[in-house]
Amino acid sequence: MVEDRALSVTEAMTSAKRALETVSAHVIGEVSEFNDKPGYKAAYFTVADDGAAMPCMMWRDAYVASGVDLRCGALVEMWGAFSAYVPKGRMQFMVKRIALAGEGVLRMQVAQLAKKLEAEGLMRPERKRALPAFPTRIAVITSPRGKAVHDVIRTLRRRFPLAELLVAGVAVEGKNAVVDIVRGLKTAAEASPDVILLVRGGGSYEDLMPFNSEEVARAVVASPVPVVTGIGHEPDTSIADMVSDLRVSTPTAAAEASAPATAELEQRLEKLSRLLGRALQHRLQDASHRVRHLAQRPVFTDSNALVGQAAQAIDMASVALRRAIPERLRRDGERLEYMHKALSTVGPRVLERAEDKLAICAARLGDLSPLAILDRGYAVCYEPDGRTVVRSVEQVRPGDRVRVRVCDGRVESVVESTEKE
Amino acid sequence: MSGNELPPPGEMAFGEALKELEGVVAALEGGQLELEESLSRYERGVALLQALQGKLNDAQQKVTSLLGELEPEGDEE
Repeated sequence: MVEDRALSVTEAMTSAKRALETVSAHVIGEVSEFNDKPGYKAAYFTVADDGAAMPCMMWRDAYVASGVDLRCGALVEMWGAFSAYVPKGRMQFMVKRIALAGEGVLRMQVAQLAKKLEAEGLMRPERKRALPAFPTRIAVITSPRGKAVHDVIRTLRRRFPLAELLVAGVAVEGKNAVVDIVRGLKTAAEASPDVILLVRGGGSYEDLMPFNSEEVARAVVASPVPVVTGIGHEPDTSIADMVSDLRVSTPTAAAEASAPATAELEQRLEKLSRLLGRALQHRLQDASHRVRHLAQRPVFTDSNALVGQAAQAIDMASVALRRAIPERLRRDGERLEYMHKALSTVGPRVLERAEDKLAICAARLGDLSPLAILDRGYAVCYEPDGRTVVRSVEQVRPGDRVRVRVCDGRVESVVESTEKE
Repeated sequence: MSGNELPPPGEMAFGEALKELEGVVAALEGGQLELEESLSRYERGVALLQALQGKLNDAQQKVTSLLGELEPEGDEE
C-alpha cells in the first residue's frame, strides 16, 4: 500500500484473494443454485437470502464427508472463509464444513429414518394390505378440531353412511402429538375397525414432523388393520405415508379411498337385481322346456307305448299255448294212424315181395343146380357109395359097380373096362 | 329351503351380504341347480337384495368418539 505502483491484474487479484482469505465466517442461507457434476473436484453452489447471494465451493472430499445432500431450497449452515478464483476474478466462499440448518436438519433426519425403515423392509409394496371393499367400521385418527375430521365425516356420510365412524381426536402437532397419535392408533385398533384413516390438513414441514417420527411409523406398521394416510402436505411424503397401506394426499381422499360410493353400489345392486331375475327366468325356461320335451316322448303320449310290446308278447304266447296242446295230440294221433296204416299195408307187401324173391331165388337156384345139366343129356357117374363123383378113370376098375345119374333116374352099372385118354 | 342356517340378510354385514348375493346370481346363472334350489336361491337373492337396498337407503352415519371431543366444524386447527 506504500508504493503507488501499478499492479498487474494477476497481482491485484492475488492480493485481493489474500485479503479475502483472512475473513472467516459462519453463514446460514438457502441454497439457490447447485452444481455438482461428477468429475468436478468441488461442489459449486450459491447460497442466498433476500438481500444477497454468495457463490460457494466446497472440495468434494469434504462435501461427501459432510453427509449433506444439497439441493435448491435447502437451508444450510456453513463454516469457512472467503477466497477468490484468480483466473476469473471471482469471489467465492470456501466452505470447510456444512450442515443442514432448521428444516434442513429435519429433512435430513427424516431421510435417514426413511432409509432405516426402508432397510427393514417396512415400505415394501408386498407389505401393503388391501383395503376392505365394504368396511362396516372406519376409524379416523386426526385432530378433533379443524377441517380434516369434518372433511372425512362429510365425505363418508355422503359416500358410505353404512359404515360406523369412530373418531380418535388427537393432537396432530406439538410436543404431545407423537404420543397422542400412537395412542390413537392403539385405541382405534382396539375397537376393531376394518380400516384406519390417519389424516391431517396441510401445514408447514415442521408441523408435519410427528408423522415423520419413528414411533408413529412403527405404530402404523403394527396396526392390525390397514391404515390409510391422508396427510395434506404435497409434495412432501411423510414417513407415516411411506409405511402405511395406502397413501393419499388429503383427508377427503382418504375417506374416499376407504369406502365405496353409495351411488356405485346402487348401480351394482341394480345390475345384480336384473341378473338375479334373468338367471331365474333362464333356469325356469330351461326346466319347463325340458319338461315339455319329456312330455312329448311316446311313453307319455301313447298309453300303450310302455306296455304294448309286452302285452302283445303275452297275447302271442297265450295263442300259442292254447293251440299247442290239442294240436299236438291231434298230430300225434294222425301220425299214429298213419304208421298203423303204413304198417298194415307194408306188412303183406313185405311177404309178397319175399315170396317173389324166394321164387326167383328158387328159379335161379334151379338154374344153377348141377342136376339141371342132366336135362340136356348129361349124366353123372358116382362111385358105388353114391356120393363120390367119378372124375377120373383111375377111380374105378373093371368090375366096379357105379351108379349113373340121368335126368329122370339112376342107372346101376358095372365097369367093363377103363381107358385113359 | 334346505333349512341350513343362513343368517337373515338384515343382520349381515353389507359386504358379506353383497358377496353372497353375487354368489347367488353366479349359481343361478350357472344353471346347475335343482329347480327347487334355484327357486330358494332366488328367494334368498331377493331378500339379500332388499336388505342391501334398504341398508343403503336408510343408512345414517353413526359417529362415535373414541378419544377427544369433536368440535363443531369451522375453526381451523
